[in-house]
Amino acid sequence: MTAMEGCPGSSMKDFRKKDSEAQENKSRVESQLRQWPIQLHLIGPAAPYYQGADVVLSADCVAYASGNFHNDYLKGKSIAIACPKLDEGQETYVEKIKEWFEDAKINTLTILTMQVPCCAGLVNIAVQALAQAKRKVPVKSIVISLEGEVLSEEWVK
Amino acid sequence: MKKYLDQNIKDIIACYPGVGDVLNEYKIACTTCAAGTCRLRDIVEIHNLPGAVEERLMEKIALAISPAGGLKLPGSRRNPAPAAGGIKYSPPLKRLVDEHALIKRLLALIPRLVAGVDFGTDEGAELASGALMFIRTYADKYHHAKEEDILFKHFDENLDVIKAMLQDHVTGRGHVKDAASALAGKNGAAVAAHLLAYHGLLTEHIKKEDEILYPWIDRSLSITQIGELFSKFIEADEKIGAEIVSRQQKFVEEAERKYGDYKENTK
Repeated sequence: MTAMEGCPGSSMKDFRKKDSEAQENKSRVESQLRQWPIQLHLIGPAAPYYQGADVVLSADCVAYASGNFHNDYLKGKSIAIACPKLDEGQETYVEKIKEWFEDAKINTLTILTMQVPCCAGLVNIAVQALAQAKRKVPVKSIVISLEGEVLSEEWVK
Repeated sequence: MKKYLDQNIKDIIACYPGVGDVLNEYKIACTTCAAGTCRLRDIVEIHNLPGAVEERLMEKIALAISPAGGLKLPGSRRNPAPAAGGIKYSPPLKRLVDEHALIKRLLALIPRLVAGVDFGTDEGAELASGALMFIRTYADKYHHAKEEDILFKHFDENLDVIKAMLQDHVTGRGHVKDAASALAGKNGAAVAAHLLAYHGLLTEHIKKEDEILYPWIDRSLSITQIGELFSKFIEADEKIGAEIVSRQQKFVEEAERKYGDYKENTK
């Protein structure tokens, strides 16, 4: 494994498995995505698939790190994705999440982030929205390691 | 081996008293439970012991059943126990635990009041009446109603653990009713006896819920059910109104201010 000094969010890590270690699953995995668009700037918080839904707000990288993202996190849920490090105009994110709580009356919000420190910004945005919202819902934060393991899972509110 | 896991604990202890000793060693209070109809499998699962501890418990139970050895009981735990750092409840269960906090403050007052107040006097009767009002409104109508009408509805109400909790509610209501009758008859000693019985019952009841039942419920519910519970609890709170809650909080605070010294007197 090689590491570069500097920001943990962009430092290089190499965890390629040897061929013998890699477990290849050749069965096709059905997509559990049931909506479009999904990028937080593009979604409308009042879209019908958010009404009363269990919503996943995922950092962009999570779906690539987690080997079974669709079945473990997306099945039966509605989603939006964002990158708290690179996306611009994040103040609108707070407003959109607040609209999920208040207007779409979502049932729960699960925030999926990577273990890198910059990803915590996505949780902060949701917490800010929750603090401003008149209607509260359970919010859970799940942190995923670079190799796709669940590092922590806790209720934010 | 499977037959023991599916057998109720009362029958197992009756046949193999050593199993009761093992459970006591692990602070699993089945020997003192009035019902004792939980299956061994459910008892092991609901206590959610760390893997190695559960393994050792099952070995000891197996030895108590079959001292010659040869019996192996598999654990039935679905999820590993959480790491040290206290129990983390989901938001709806956290609300119930927070409600317990005020009920526990009232319960903590009861022995002090019984030791220092004559419930046969006007002042004592007024105080007992206030405590009974707290139990009827906050503990029962506000808190227990959420469990009975919402939370427990997510489970089979024939589950022994749910039946045991519901029975505690019924027994508690009996003590409150008897205390109120004694109060009307100006029988201070009987009022004190029923308040103390309620204190003992609810103290144990809350401990079981906080430490065993609620964590088990959290492990059993889906995130969708957690969200639904949270919404229904908020609806129930809005229906009963904030005024009742704040009035009962005020009662406890005033009673603590006025009678809190009895703690020192009775040490």
